[in-house]
Amino acid sequence: MNEKYIQILGVVLTFLYGAFVVFLYAAEPRSLEEISMKARSTVESAMTKGQVMTGTYEIDSSKFNEGLQAFRQDNFIAARDSLSRADPEKRDAKTQFYIAYSFYRQGWGRVSNDDALFKQALESVLRVTTIDPNFRSDDANLQLRTPAELRNELEEGMKVTIDDFNPLRLVRERK
Amino acid sequence: MEETKIENEAVTGELLPADEHEDLAVNKSSGIAVAVLPEPTSSNQRFFLRYIALPFSFITVALLGGLRLNGADSSLIFLKPPLLCLIFSAIMLALFFRAGLIRMDGWFSEEFSMLKNLANGAVLAALFAATAQLFNSLLPEQGLPFWVVGFCFFWTLWNNLFAEFDTKKLLRSLGGLFGLAFVVKYLVLANLTAPASDSWLRSIFENPGKEAFTWALDLPRFSAGTGYIQFFAITFYLLGLFLLPASTRDSDHHYEI
Repeated sequence: MNEKYIQILGVVLTFLYGAFVVFLYAAEPRSLEEISMKARSTVESAMTKGQVMTGTYEIDSSKFNEGLQAFRQDNFIAARDSLSRADPEKRDAKTQFYIAYSFYRQGWGRVSNDDALFKQALESVLRVTTIDPNFRSDDANLQLRTPAELRNELEEGMKVTIDDFNPLRLVRERK
Repeated sequence: MEETKIENEAVTGELLPADEHEDLAVNKSSGIAVAVLPEPTSSNQRFFLRYIALPFSFITVALLGGLRLNGADSSLIFLKPPLLCLIFSAIMLALFFRAGLIRMDGWFSEEFSMLKNLANGAVLAALFAATAQLFNSLLPEQGLPFWVVGFCFFWTLWNNLFAEFDTKKLLRSLGGLFGLAFVVKYLVLANLTAPASDSWLRSIFENPGKEAFTWALDLPRFSAGTGYIQFFAITFYLLGLFLLPASTRDSDHHYEI
């Protein structure tokens, strides 16, 4: 074989083997079976990032519909799971708005709210604002259509004020 | 004398006209085929060794150097090299250049094609990664032993950097250094480490001395298989160093060990 071809082969093999070693140290699989699993997730993640870089990124509509269905059935944990898998790069404003709304609805309580869930909702709302500052939801079932309305509701829900002791609060409805 | 004799002899052959002479020359040259000799097999072997076997060996060391087996369930643990290992690796490469184990002008040159420079760079990058991982393998992972052994390595390498070395002495010195470090970590310290146990109280009653050393020296509990893996890593590394040519210039083969 010509020296040139051996050099090309050497460079390619060195690069591939080196990349495999780097992958192993980055993924840290605990067993040989885990290597293929981690490799698959790494390839999927790389492909998604590639789509983002080339501007061809789209959410998985079937998973989004699954998430929406679960959201409407008040199954918020399943809804977030599906919605997160539909938009792994967190770049779709609509999906992120539903995730924020699911945190809000799950954390809402007639007597008191779950502050931890409300904080996570706030993080998602801020993400929506970053992605699309003019976002407005077209879902008629949602009473809070914009990130600003939702953020206000979340911030008010986390504050402790004198109104929190008003007994009429027990008759208020979730938005 | 011989020439004078020829000159004195009478020419008995017929003289040919100039144009006829040229035709003959043309006919003869057309009959000559340029025979291209195949590359010698030994040359191909040398290239395979240099550009495929050597990087393979070094990257295998890079793979095995940070690999440990958990003492409790033998699961794989990949330890990334600490910064100190990269510094040691850089010092080692400087030592290789100083001792003439690698000659810079024999590995990178404007006279070489870009591909050859690239291929040589890949081999040396693999050597750097393997050296860093070898130190990762031989240095204790944490605690006091890490700093003690690390200091010993640093002291030895720093002294070597200013010593007069030839290639054979350097290889012998490195073999001794790595061998001693291997014995310290995988025989002495490993035998002071208590085996992994479910019950803390039980392990104290069963191995009080080892438990005390493990606690005092902050020794990690690895499976015995780790020592075997690291033994092969060191063997591959030293073999790779032994096979590494000082120069990749075709005219410098006498430099190769």
